[in-house]
Amino acid sequence: MSKGPCLEKCSSGKGRSHGHDDFSHMAEITNVYSLTATEKLYQIQIIDADARRDFYFQPGQFVMLEVPGIGEAPFSISSSPSRRGDIELCIRAAGTMTNFLSRLERGVMIGISGPFGTAFPVADMVGSDVLLLAGGLGIVPLRSPIMAVLENRSRYGRVDIMYGARRPSELLFGYQHAMWRQFDIGLEVIVDEGEEGWQGPVGRITEILQKRLAQGERRKFAKETNAIVCGPPVMFKFVCDMLLQAGLPMEKIFVSLERRMHCGRGKCCRCNIGSTYTCVDGPVFDYWSVLNLKEAI
Amino acid sequence: MIFKIIAARELALFFDILAVNKIVGPVKKGSAADGRALYDFDVVYDLAELSLDFDQTIHPAKKYFLPYLEETCSFAIRDKGWEKEVDYGAYRPVVLFGLHACDINALNKLDKVLLAEPYPNRFYAAKRASMFIVGHSCQPTPACFCHAMGTDSVLQGCDLFLTPMGDEYFVEIFSSRAYHILENLNLREPGSKDHKLFQEAVEARKNLFTAEVDTSDLTKILDMEFDSPVWDQWGEKCLSCGTCAQVCPTCYCYGVEEVVAMDMASAGKIRQLYSCNLLDFAEVAGGHNFRPESRGRLKYRYYHKHRGFVEAFEEALCVGCGRCGTNCLADINVPEVIASVRGGEVEDV
Amino acid sequence: MKDEKKYLGVAVPRPRVGFFELSSCEGCQLQLLNNEASLLDFLGLVEIVNFREGMKEAADDYQIAFVEGSVTRADEEERLHKIRRNADLVVALGSCACFGGVNQLKNRFQDQEWVKKEVYGNHPIASQEARPLSAFIKVDLEIYGCPIKKEEVERIVTNLVLGKAVNHPKYPICMECKAKENICLFELGEPCLGPITRAGCDAWCPSNRLGCWGCRGPAPEANIAELKRIVAKRKIPLERLLDRLECFGGFAGEAGKLRLALEAAK
Repeated sequence: MSKGPCLEKCSSGKGRSHGHDDFSHMAEITNVYSLTATEKLYQIQIIDADARRDFYFQPGQFVMLEVPGIGEAPFSISSSPSRRGDIELCIRAAGTMTNFLSRLERGVMIGISGPFGTAFPVADMVGSDVLLLAGGLGIVPLRSPIMAVLENRSRYGRVDIMYGARRPSELLFGYQHAMWRQFDIGLEVIVDEGEEGWQGPVGRITEILQKRLAQGERRKFAKETNAIVCGPPVMFKFVCDMLLQAGLPMEKIFVSLERRMHCGRGKCCRCNIGSTYTCVDGPVFDYWSVLNLKEAI
Repeated sequence: MIFKIIAARELALFFDILAVNKIVGPVKKGSAADGRALYDFDVVYDLAELSLDFDQTIHPAKKYFLPYLEETCSFAIRDKGWEKEVDYGAYRPVVLFGLHACDINALNKLDKVLLAEPYPNRFYAAKRASMFIVGHSCQPTPACFCHAMGTDSVLQGCDLFLTPMGDEYFVEIFSSRAYHILENLNLREPGSKDHKLFQEAVEARKNLFTAEVDTSDLTKILDMEFDSPVWDQWGEKCLSCGTCAQVCPTCYCYGVEEVVAMDMASAGKIRQLYSCNLLDFAEVAGGHNFRPESRGRLKYRYYHKHRGFVEAFEEALCVGCGRCGTNCLADINVPEVIASVRGGEVEDV
Repeated sequence: MKDEKKYLGVAVPRPRVGFFELSSCEGCQLQLLNNEASLLDFLGLVEIVNFREGMKEAADDYQIAFVEGSVTRADEEERLHKIRRNADLVVALGSCACFGGVNQLKNRFQDQEWVKKEVYGNHPIASQEARPLSAFIKVDLEIYGCPIKKEEVERIVTNLVLGKAVNHPKYPICMECKAKENICLFELGEPCLGPITRAGCDAWCPSNRLGCWGCRGPAPEANIAELKRIVAKRKIPLERLLDRLECFGGFAGEAGKLRLALEAAK
C-alpha cells in the first residue's frame, strides 16, 4: 500500500532546455545606421535559418526585442513583410532599454520574439485608394505597409503618403523618399518649423490632408479609400475627425495604438484597456473599435 | 460521473498514498485579534495537519501555479553573445488537497487565458500539468458570493471532489488518475440514502450565502457608468497597494525585470505578479501614465474582471471567493462596488 | 581587475567612489561590508577611494559619493558641500540621509536647548536641527531604508555602471508582504505603515511580525488619509500611528499635521 503512484510522470516538463524556448529566437544585429540624432535603423537577422524563413509577419505587427539583463520592449517592424526574418527596426533611444540598444555594435546577439498583434489589412485594400498618414515616429510602423503597397503598386489605385514631423532634421527615411516617389505615389512631407535649407512646406499635416480632401469627389473618396494613420494622440484625433467628416466610414480608418507591454502575448495585462489587449487585439484597430475603447486616444 | 463513498479513516490512507508527492493544503496559521482562525495553504506531511473545515484561506494556493516572483530564464553572457537557459520549474508534481470550488474554478478560468494558443504561458502550463487536485466542499462565509458568479460547484478542473457526510465522504471522481488511486482503498457505492444526504448538504450550503451580486447586464451597465461618481468615492479609499490582486486566485497580471549579475557574466529575467491598482501599472516608456489616478485604476480592475473578460469568454474573471474584500484594509469589496455602480450609493463603511 | 569590463560588447566603466558619513550610526555602510560573499564582485564594479570604515587611504577624486547620515552640525554642512563639489553623482544612503532619519525625532521639540541638555547634560556640543541632505545640496539618487538593503545597493550600482535607469518600486509594502504570505498586522490588532510606505525591503519587518515604521518613506501618492481612517476604525489610538509617522522623517509633513490635530483635540 505504501508504494503509491508518484505523479511525476504526468509532468509535461522537460524541465530544463536551451535555445529558443518561450517563443524567442536569437538574432544578430547585422547593421546599425543613424537616421537622426536619436533614431537608429537596426538590421536584425534571426540566426536559425529555418526560423528566419518561417518568420512571416504582416505590416503593422510588432516584435519584442530583448537585450539580456537590460530589458525587453515592443517595436513595430519597419521592413517589408517579404523579407521575413531579416527585419529592420527604427528605434528612438528614449529609455533604459533603447539607450542601451543604441550602444550595441554590429555582431551583438539579441533576443527576438513575435510577430505579435494585429496588422494593417493591406491585402484587403487591393483595388482601392490608400491614404497613409504619419506624424513623427508614426512613420515607423507605417514604413512596412508602405513597402508592402509599393511592392504591389499596380494592384492599388491612388496612393498618397502624408508625413509630418517637427523639424526637417527629425525626418525619418528621408533617403528613401525619392525612391518611394518613383512608384507613382503622392508623397507630401510637412514640418512644424523649418530649418536652414528646408524648401518644403511648413505647417500641420492636417493642412496637406485638407488639400487632398478638397480634390476629387466626396462620394468617390469615401467609397474607394482606405486610410492608415499613425502618430501622436493629438494628431490621431484631428486627422481621424477630418477623415470622418470627409465621409470615410470608420471601418476603413486604421490606427496603431501604443500601451505599456511586457509580454506581447496577451498574458501580462499591462496593455489592457478594459476589454482589450493592445498587444493581441491591437496595436492596429479600425476606428470603430477605437471608439469602443474608453481612454484609448 | 463516478460517485463513491469513502470512510473518513480511509481518507488518511488516501492521503498516505499521495504523500510520495508534495501535498499542499489549508492549515491554520494563527488567530486574528477578534479570535477568528486564519488559514493559508502550505505544505503538509500528515492529514491531521490539514484544516479541511477551513472557511477561507488568506491567499489562494497561488504560489504553486503563479508564483509571486519567478525567474523565467537566465543568460550566460559570452562576449557579444549569450546562452539562454529556460527553466519551467516543474520538477515535482504538487497535490493540492482541499481546494474549494471557487479556487478550482479560478484555475479553469486562468487556463482559458494562460494556456491559450499560440503563446501559452509554459511556466504555468508545466505546473498545471503536474498538479493533482482534491476538491473539498465548503461552508460559505458572509464574504462569499461564488453562487452569483456561477462558480459554486465544480464541473471540471479537479481529480476528485469530496463532500463530508457524517463520518463518510461523498466522492466525485473526475479523472482516471484519481480512480486508479482510489482502487486501492475500501470504497462503497452510494445508495439512495447517500444521494439524499448529498442533496441535503447542497441545499444547506445554498442557504448559507448572504452576500448578493447582481450580474445581469453588468457589462453594459459598467460601460454606461464609466463616468459614475462612485468610482471617485471608491478611488478615494483605495490604497493602491495591490493586496486585492495578490490574494485573488484569478489575477495574473505581471511585470518583468531584467537583472545583470555584478560580475557581468550572467543575467536573468524575473517575472513579478503585478496589480492593475499599482500607480505605475499603465505607465509607458516615455513616462506617460495612462491611469495616474486610483479611481481609474480601480475602475479598470472591475472593467477587466466583470466586463472585458465576460465579453471575451462569457464568464467573469472572478470566482466570488471574497478574498479581495476580506483583505482590503479600506473595505473595498465586489458586492458593494457592483451594487454602487448599479445605482446604489457608496455606503460609508 | 584593471581590465576594462564589457557587457555584450559595451564598455562598462568602473567609477571611483567614496563613502561618507554625517550624523548616523554608520550602520548602512556596515551593511555593505557585511556580506563577504559578494564583496569582491562589488569591488570589481567600483573603485573605492574613500571609505573610512573599510580602508586607511582617502582620496577626493571620486565620481560617485555615497553619503550616510543627516546634517546636524554646521561643519557637516560644510563637508557636504565639499563632497558635492567633488562628486559627479551624490547618493543619499539610508533614511537619515534621505529624510533625516531617527535623528530628526529631536526636531519636534520646540525647545532645542532642552533637548541638548537632556542628551548631553553638562557637556553640550554645537548641534542644530537634523536635516536630510536634500535640504542643503542637490541629491542625484536616494537609497532608502534603515538600514539600507545591501542587495538593493548592489543592484543599483550595477544598474548605474550599465547606464540602466534606477527605478524604485512605486507601490507600497503590502504588495511584498502579501507575496510573503504574511498575516496582515492589522488582523493581529497592530498598526503598520505598510500600506503607505515605499516597498523594496521585501516586507522585512512585517515578515517578522513587526508592523512597518516607514523607514523607506512614503510610496508616491500614498493614501495616508485612508490609513488614518483604517487605524481609527480598528480603535488603535492615533498616537500609535503618529509615533510611526514621526520616526524616520519620511512622513514629516503629515506627522506634523497629525500632531497638531491631536494636540488641539486634547
